[in-house]
Formats: sequence, structure tokens, C-alpha cells
Amino acid sequence: MTDSTKDEAYIALKNVRKSYKIGIEPIPIFSGLDLTIPRSDFVAVMGPSGSGKSTLLNMLAGIDLPDAGELRIGGNRLDRMGETARSAWRAHNMGIVFQFYNLLPMLNAAENVELPLLLKPLSARERRVRVGKVLDLVGLSGREKQYPAMMSGGQQQRIGIARAIVADPELLLCDEPTGDLDRKSADEILDMLRFLNRELGKTVVMVTHDPQAALYARRTLHLDKGSFVEENRAA
Amino acid sequence: MTFLQLARRNTWRKPIRSLLLMVCVAVAFLIYGLTASFTSGTQSAVGASDDILGVMNAAGRAQPLPMAHMARIASAPGIASVAYMSRLRGFVDNERNVVAVSAVDPGLLIAVNGSELGLTPELIAPLGKARDRVLVGRALAEAQGWSVGDHINVTAFQVAREDGSRDWRFEIAGIFAGESPSSDTYFMIARYDYINAARARDRDTADAFIVRPRRSVPSSELAARIDALFANSVAPTRTQSEKQFLEAFLRQYADVGLIVDLVVGAAFVTLLMIVINTMVFAVRERTFEFGVLKSLGFSRTSILSLVLTETLFIFVIGGGIGLALAKLATLFAPPTLGLVFSLSILVKAAAIMLALGLATGALPAVNAMRISITAALKTR
Ligand SMILES: Nc1ncnc2c1ncn2[C@@H]1O[C@H](COP(=O)(O)OP(=O)(O)OP(=O)(O)O)[C@@H](O)[C@H]1O
Ligand SMILES: [Mg+2]
Repeated sequence: MTDSTKDEAYIALKNVRKSYKIGIEPIPIFSGLDLTIPRSDFVAVMGPSGSGKSTLLNMLAGIDLPDAGELRIGGNRLDRMGETARSAWRAHNMGIVFQFYNLLPMLNAAENVELPLLLKPLSARERRVRVGKVLDLVGLSGREKQYPAMMSGGQQQRIGIARAIVADPELLLCDEPTGDLDRKSADEILDMLRFLNRELGKTVVMVTHDPQAALYARRTLHLDKGSFVEENRAA
Repeated sequence: MTFLQLARRNTWRKPIRSLLLMVCVAVAFLIYGLTASFTSGTQSAVGASDDILGVMNAAGRAQPLPMAHMARIASAPGIASVAYMSRLRGFVDNERNVVAVSAVDPGLLIAVNGSELGLTPELIAPLGKARDRVLVGRALAEAQGWSVGDHINVTAFQVAREDGSRDWRFEIAGIFAGESPSSDTYFMIARYDYINAARARDRDTADAFIVRPRRSVPSSELAARIDALFANSVAPTRTQSEKQFLEAFLRQYADVGLIVDLVVGAAFVTLLMIVINTMVFAVRERTFEFGVLKSLGFSRTSILSLVLTETLFIFVIGGGIGLALAKLATLFAPPTLGLVFSLSILVKAAAIMLALGLATGALPAVNAMRISITAALKTR
């Protein structure tokens, strides 16, 4: 890596403000949040319920916007992009994994995984090859035709991860990816995220309530009352 | 999977609902197909010629014109050929079974109007053998079950014979088919000399002269010129194209086209409401899924087109079924109905399908497009 300063700030939030209006009173979530995440980092974000973890992740995904401040990812000022530009950015730069998988029930495993590829100029063949590859990666090859309703939570979350990485994005955002899973399935999913970070160099930001899950990350940020209160670096 | 398949998959999420919508669309387009076939068929002026002119008495269609007009019309510049005609309306067997007889000089008629009626020299030749011979139009022959060689008796409503009887006996010498399926063939062609010699009144008059203008001569100009010829005579004329005449004739009873448009319009408006309402609900039900798609990077436009494709899909399938049924109905309907399912109906129906599909999809599609991701993901 030649330009380490640039890399240092793959993700950079500067003085980000965000509040939600409930009634007439705006309730501030962040009032001046700063954060930098270098490329290929694996960050766990912890904090009490309502501290704004999901709000932060949504901003990193470009599906929510700061009220003020700077939000820069990989040289793009997301806070200055229009909605259309942000969806195009999402399609090409990030994958997202949800707590409750958020698979589409009328599509089978392979079709769910294929969804993000519909936004790319790929032939049906190329799409099939890519879907096969990631399903293999998450250990679900042979289950292409299975529908989400027929799968266990752990399997559904693997489909969720396959869907998030099928377009080969640089950034992987996970909102409590193991929040709904038993320990064993959770560890499998976390192993997978660690693999994606260590072996494939993906930058991973993972929100979690589970201290054990946080151990898989390179570092953990604790969010409370709108700012990061401490930071643990993994050994 | 493709974008189109994704839309199709959404359509079949609730198969019963989609099927019911398609049935609604099919029924509306069946109604459209049938009524459009009806107005484009023999009941309308669409198949009528714009070129051929009819010269009638300005005082009314029931008033005859003196035969002397014939020579003056024929000598007017710009005229290719002229024929004369007397019309005899009557019934066969019972009073509701109305038929029309055009009494003409077949040799003159073939020159003026032969190709439109499908007349050939071979077809009219047998008329020369006996004065009471007639040619019957195919629609009429099929409806009555007549064939060549049959003897028929037409009881005239007005035209009486010298002996006071109103019964006219004819022998069928041939059947003419018309130039195209939309040609009016629900009448028969008899010899003028037979009827003229036997009728009690109006002898040596014609109900109309039929004029074919020369190629380069605009028919409207010629019509004005003919009417000018007789403006100061005892029997002023009114000259119209066959099409104008038929349209005026149909409007006498009711504006059939307008009524049909209103019926079809009402069906389509109802359809619009039903589909919009259903699709708005379908989109609302799937708010969460649209949120997921957007979070994956689907743009506002792709969400919009996803919903539009879904409604278009319903309209194309439903409409296709409706039109196919309409076409089938025109094949099996009795020829007297004169249903003609033309290519132009198909093209127009396809355009309506597209327009309605987009119109009904617009509101739900815009709703889906405007769903906020963060709000949608909370609806899980
Ligand atoms: N769309 C919204 N409108 C109003 N308030 C909101 C909205 N989204 C979030 N909030 C509020 O913002 C605060 C932070 O919400 P957020 O979902 O980011 O918390 P979280 O840290 O993810 O909590 P949890 O651990 O329960 O998921 C909460 O108080 C929440 O009520
Ligand atoms: Mg949350």
C-alpha cells in the first residue's frame, strides 16, 4: 500500500449530525460524530439499544443521510449524492447483511443471490457462474432451488451473505448478522465474515450486541449517547 | 432470472388475485373487440367507399328522381360511369325478416360498382336469361339458407304491382360475395326493367343514381357539380359519397359509434379503478420487499419499471385472452351481425392495452418508487 493516508480513511465521517423528529422536537442521535475506518478493516460496533448503531450503518450504506457533516467512502461524498447516484453506488460498492436476512420469499436461494447482479451488465451465463461461486463459498451449493421458508436461520443468513458479496463489493455492512442465530450457526457466520475480511480483503463493519461476535473483529467501537466512548483493538 | 422474470414472479405471488384481474381485463377487451368488430363490420360505414357517389332527391330518400336526370349526369365532365337504381324493401315469410332489393341495370352497375360488390361478367350473365332472376349477397344468402336455383317471394312494404299485389317472385341466379368481408352483402340485385314494368307507381324513376368519378377527379367536387346541375330543376338532388350517406343513415337512428364508445369507455374506466386499487394494495403489502430491493441498489427507476411491468403483464395476458375470444366470436357469429375483427382493431386494442397498463400502473409504481428504505425496512 503506497498511499497509506488515503487508505487510512477509506471510510471517513467528520462532524456528522443526525437527529430524528418525533413530534416537533428533534431528538439528536449524533451531534458531531467522527469516524475513520481504513480499507480492509473489520470493525465491530457495539452499544446499547437506541444508541444509533443501525442509523450509523444505514448512513454507511447510503440509505440514510446525515443532517450535516461529511460522509466519505472510497473518495465518494455520499452526503452530496442524490438518491439515484447513491443507489448506483450501493449496487457497485457495498453489500449489506441484515439481522432477519431479508430474503425475498418468492425467490429461491439462487435467485435471491442473483438479485444484485440484475443491476450489472452481465450475461445470464456469467450471472449463473457467479451465483454458483458464492453459494459454494458459503457452503450451500446444491441448494440453489430451495426457498427461504424451507431453510434454517443459519442457512438463510448464509444466503444473505452470498447475496451481499455476489457483486464483489469492497464494503460489507452487517446489522446484527448473528442476532437471530444459535451459537453454532453464529460462529459459522462469523468465521465466514472473518474469511471475507482476511482472505478477500473486504472492509467489514458489523453491528452486534454479542461480545463474542465482536471478538472476530479487528477492533470494536462502543457507541453511547451519540459518540464512540472506547475502542478495543484485538490482539 | 431476468428483470422481466422478477416482475412476472411478483405477478404470480397471489395467483387468484392476478387471475381475477386478468379476467376483468379480458372481459373489458372482449367487450371492446366485439363492439369494435360490430361497428367496423357491415353495420358501419367503414367498409363503404369514399369514391363512389350516390345522387338522391334533395327532398328526401323516399322521393324518386326522374330517369331523365340520368343523361344529364352522364354528360357532366369528370364522370367515369353512371348507373341507376330503384330500391324495393320488403320481407320474406314473416314481416320481421326484412330484405332489400336493388333494382338495377346489371351492365351499368358492374361498370360503376362491380369490384366493390364482387360482380363479374360471368356472374351477371345468367340475369339476362329471365327478367325475374336475381343475384343474392352472400351474407343474405347464408342468413336465409338460400342457394342458386331457389325461388323466393318478397312481399314489398311499398312497391305494389299493377294488379295490386305486393308479392314479387324471384329466382336466384347467383351469389355475390363483395370485395372484402366488410362489404355490405345483405341485399339482392334484381333487374330494373322487370320491376319498372310491373310496378303500379313511380314508373321510369330511380331512387338513386350511382356515379363513379374519373380517377383524378375529387369526389366532393364532382358531387357539388352534379347538385348544381339540378339546382333549379323540378327535382333538385343531393349527392353524397357512399360513406357519407351510410354515416348519415346510421346517425338517423342513433349515433351507434357514440353509444359504443360510451359503453366501452365505461368498461375501461371501471377496469382502471379496479386494477389501480388492487395494485396500490399489492404494492403496500410489499413495501418491505421494495425496501430490500432498494437497499441492494435497485434505483427508483428500476422499482418504477418493475411495478409497471407487472401491470402491463396483467393487461397483455388478460387483454390478449379477451381479444382472442372476440376474434373467435366473430368467426362463429351469424353473418347478419356483420362482425369484422380487422387488423386496425387489433392495433388499436394493443395501443389501449399499453396505455391502460401504464395508466393503472402509474400510481402504484410511483408509490413503490417513493418508499423510503429505512421506513420500509422497519415494516418487517
Ligand atoms: N425513522 C426514524 N424516525 C424516528 N426516530 C428514529 C428513526 N430511526 C431511528 N430512530 C431513533 O433513533 C435512535 C437510534 O436508532 P437505531 O435504530 O439506530 O438504534 P440501534 O442502536 O440500532 O438500536 P438497536 O440496538 O435496538 O437496534 C432510536 O432512539 C430510534 O428510536
Ligand atoms: Mg439496530
